[in-house]
Amino acid sequence: MPTTLTAGPAATTKTFLDALAEHDVAAAVGLTDPQVAVVVHPLGVRATGRAALQTVLTDLVTAFPDLLLTVRRVIVTGDVVTALLRVEGTQAAAYAGVVNQEKHIDLDQAWRFVIDDGVITAVSAYWCQQQLYRRLAVKRFDQVAIVGGEQS
Amino acid sequence: MSASSACAVVTEFFDRYRAHDIDGMTDLCSINADFSYVPFELWGKQRVLRGDGKVGTVGKAIWTGFVTSFPNLTNTVHSITGNDDGDVVVEADIAGTQQLAWGFIAPTGQQFSEPHLFVFHVDDGGLIDAVTGYWDNAGTSRQLAHNEVD
Repeated sequence: MPTTLTAGPAATTKTFLDALAEHDVAAAVGLTDPQVAVVVHPLGVRATGRAALQTVLTDLVTAFPDLLLTVRRVIVTGDVVTALLRVEGTQAAAYAGVVNQEKHIDLDQAWRFVIDDGVITAVSAYWCQQQLYRRLAVKRFDQVAIVGGEQS
Repeated sequence: MSASSACAVVTEFFDRYRAHDIDGMTDLCSINADFSYVPFELWGKQRVLRGDGKVGTVGKAIWTGFVTSFPNLTNTVHSITGNDDGDVVVEADIAGTQQLAWGFIAPTGQQFSEPHLFVFHVDDGGLIDAVTGYWDNAGTSRQLAHNEVD
């Protein structure tokens, strides 16, 4: 049976991802509980509350103003929704300590949401920061601000 | 395939992984099971080698190499959720101490523990027919004292 995105936890997740795709961080964050648990493993973020998520998402859409978010699959397992997506964009500002070289990224990610009565109570994000660094021309993990090639 | 049955198959998969029973892990998978380790990406001068293919050809080789390089490799499953379509999502830490080279990472005896998210699909016959994994290789590399991106 295909996953329906029109009701329940899947609908809430779709609304969140649609808002993020539109770079509407406020709308996305507005779907979360004020005490939402936020874990973004590649960035070392482990926090409680909307502010942490707002920072993560704002940094993303600011650094990649042409951000394109493509949802490849949504998996509903009870009150947990897992979205497999691809993030693409061209860097226009520093991101995660990496200076801007106007490099393009394409990065497959997995976002896991816990939904309670239409409200997102937990978000966990998984992606490979090595892939991100590689696309942004970072050469060393201990010197992410130093990148290869010409600086813009 | 009920959600509980699908989760039981995947739980057994991680039990066998923890026991380094690679043949047992692959026995839980269908003969043509799809495999995708998304972060697995080796960039050469002329081509990129990715961790995509089949369990029998790509997955088994990676798992075997992994437990060889990390003889005390283990996993801790933090959450496992499934549905009646056979989808199972797992959050787990994979951890170990490096004794042999792993990819471009020379062995220095360092330990790592890295959060992973896995997506499985279990078919109507109770066999895993798809495995997808996500994690942060930068986190793993840093813990293993390897600081070169490529």
